[in-house]
Amino acid sequence: MPGQAHVTDTAYHYDGTFAGFLCCIFESYARREIPADVCPPQQAQLTLYGVRDIATDATRARRVAAGLGRLGPAVRDRIATGFLHSAAPGKDLALLRFARLAFARGPQAAQMLGDADAAEAFALERAVLGEAHHYIEFLRFEERGGMLGAVIHPKHCVLPLLRGHFCSRLPGEDFLIFDAVHGAALLRQNRRVQYLAMQRYEPAPDTEEADWQALWKRFFRALTIEERRNARAQQTHLPRRFWPDMCEMQPDAPGDGPKHT
Amino acid sequence: MDLAQKLEILADSAKYDVACTSSGVDRPGRHGSLGSCAAAGICHAFTPDGRCVSLLKVLYSNACAYDCGYCVNRRSNDRPRASFTPRELAELTIGFYRRNYIEGLFLSSAVLGSPDRTMELMIEALRILRQEYRFNGYIHAKTIPGADPLLVERLGLLADRLSVNIELPSEGSLRELAPDKKKSAILRPMGQIAVQSAASRRDLAVYKRAPAFAPAGQSTQMIIGATPESDRHILNLTEALYKKYALKRVFFSAYLPVVADRRLPALTTRPPLLREHRLYQADWLLRYYHFSAGELLNEAEPNLDPYLDPKCTWAVRHPEFFPVEVNTAPREELLRVPGIGPKSALRIVQARRMQRLGLPELKRIGVVLKRAQYFITCNGHAPARGTRAEIAGALLDPGAFGIGVQQLSLDDFAPKPLPAAAPAVHELAAQGVAPAQAAQLVREEALTCLVRRM
Ligand code: SF4
Repeated sequence: MPGQAHVTDTAYHYDGTFAGFLCCIFESYARREIPADVCPPQQAQLTLYGVRDIATDATRARRVAAGLGRLGPAVRDRIATGFLHSAAPGKDLALLRFARLAFARGPQAAQMLGDADAAEAFALERAVLGEAHHYIEFLRFEERGGMLGAVIHPKHCVLPLLRGHFCSRLPGEDFLIFDAVHGAALLRQNRRVQYLAMQRYEPAPDTEEADWQALWKRFFRALTIEERRNARAQQTHLPRRFWPDMCEMQPDAPGDGPKHT
Repeated sequence: MDLAQKLEILADSAKYDVACTSSGVDRPGRHGSLGSCAAAGICHAFTPDGRCVSLLKVLYSNACAYDCGYCVNRRSNDRPRASFTPRELAELTIGFYRRNYIEGLFLSSAVLGSPDRTMELMIEALRILRQEYRFNGYIHAKTIPGADPLLVERLGLLADRLSVNIELPSEGSLRELAPDKKKSAILRPMGQIAVQSAASRRDLAVYKRAPAFAPAGQSTQMIIGATPESDRHILNLTEALYKKYALKRVFFSAYLPVVADRRLPALTTRPPLLREHRLYQADWLLRYYHFSAGELLNEAEPNLDPYLDPKCTWAVRHPEFFPVEVNTAPREELLRVPGIGPKSALRIVQARRMQRLGLPELKRIGVVLKRAQYFITCNGHAPARGTRAEIAGALLDPGAFGIGVQQLSLDDFAPKPLPAAAPAVHELAAQGVAPAQAAQLVREEALTCLVRRM
């Protein structure tokens, strides 16, 4: 059975790209071994194990991708989406082990949540999807000269997961979503989408945009029912880390005009 | 009056309407138009009262010709009045939508002159949105009781969801408090919407381009606690509405006294938020757990338990049903286990096809065992044995005894009973008992009482 493999004490080091990660899976099969760790460059110094550098090879990556594709969308998406997770050390190893489980057991592996590797891969995917969904909810665009722009500070690399939603929703608009944590941006212009490396995005103040934000804030305030005030519920649904990028969660600037009570 | 001021008045007037969901229809974006819809609904903000903001929820006008006793906008109440123009409303919706503030519009209105005139203005606003701005996002519109059926039909062709608020849970209460509204004026459009919406679904199945009439169905809302109906009455009515009019949702709104009226609870009455919460839990059991209203409440127990969620109450009353074996029980039986919801039940059913499930597997699947462990077996073994007091302790709903810092003002750090804590906790605290102690006293009593019932 091709799944026969021993656990080694070698760590795989790869270049941090998804193609590189797929090559780690390839290597693991070629050598019939399960590495002790799989590290992108950021984590590489920390490892206690012997090291094998895995070169990224487009042909091998494509072969593994095609294999994953045959295992069905649940398995494929779990690995591709889980890979966008950027907070858990050891996530690459968990995904590699899950990929092996899936190659051995077929598409049903996605539902084997009683298995430790399958459960971890599921948890990784869920964390990333959860965050992406939060941004679908809480991202705020500002308009500058007919173009919409938004700034987000996500834990994970969620831009690829926002693309489909916003392109479908705003078919006639140009927009930019700037991920300030990972220094990347999703730019849609003339119906074309590009990912850009980007370090800063600071739109100039604009009075028309400021008016819209003031209108929205006024609406938001008017909706609150004081007798039902429940700050804890608010924070459960809308965790504090999203607040800085949401205009209605900012205190009023001094000259914002008279307020009604 | 400038637009910002109007918006403030008309949002403030609409805020007691609770149905702010954008769910029920899946519609991808279309080339040449603006917007899309997601069946599960999307929240875009949460107000400090913890409620989701999904739609631009406003009244078209709050200048009402009627005089319903429970309503802030009643004719005889002195408050600022405003009305939008159809175009203002459409532009506002588009401006907010493009910025990802909202999923769409929830439009309702006071009776501006006559029901027909009000509906015509609402229809014009929606027409501008759909036709001129080619708005493809979500629209929920509330029909005005007493409007012409032809106008209801036109509204339904523009909106995704329609609602007719039943307002009060019985005809007697309605007669007493809303003298301008007739029961028939509420039920007739409900029936019309149910029929036309079903017909349109049939047409759409045959012919893809057939016009969609309220594709996200209809919902209704009733006020809880303004009038004396029991939970049993309310739940039976809810169940009947789901069956008879194929409603998508019934919303409950805890009555918040807004005007002094001898027919209504005093102005100092706290809104019955815990009761509202329990009714929503019971409503979920009806919709997703295959429970019937008759199983949850009966003549001897006409009201939901404030300290236990309705599913736990049912479990305590039916020890003969348990334990449930997770490796073999059908999904409907798993759903009756306290702590197992539709998601966990589905994952259990899927996972056990591949492997036997023991306790570690259940944990990995993500089943919350705090309550479930006392009601299941894994391969014939009970994962936990508890004394009656331990089990009762796990079942009590901590929300009923919630104490927390609410920060009503910047320097307010004193813990208080949370808004949805049990009335007994609020009462003790109001009498001067320290909140934490009040919560503990009430909890102990609830625990003793529950142990006795087990
Ligand atoms: S008709 Fe509607 S807005 Fe007017 S008083 Fe009655 S409930 Fe309020």
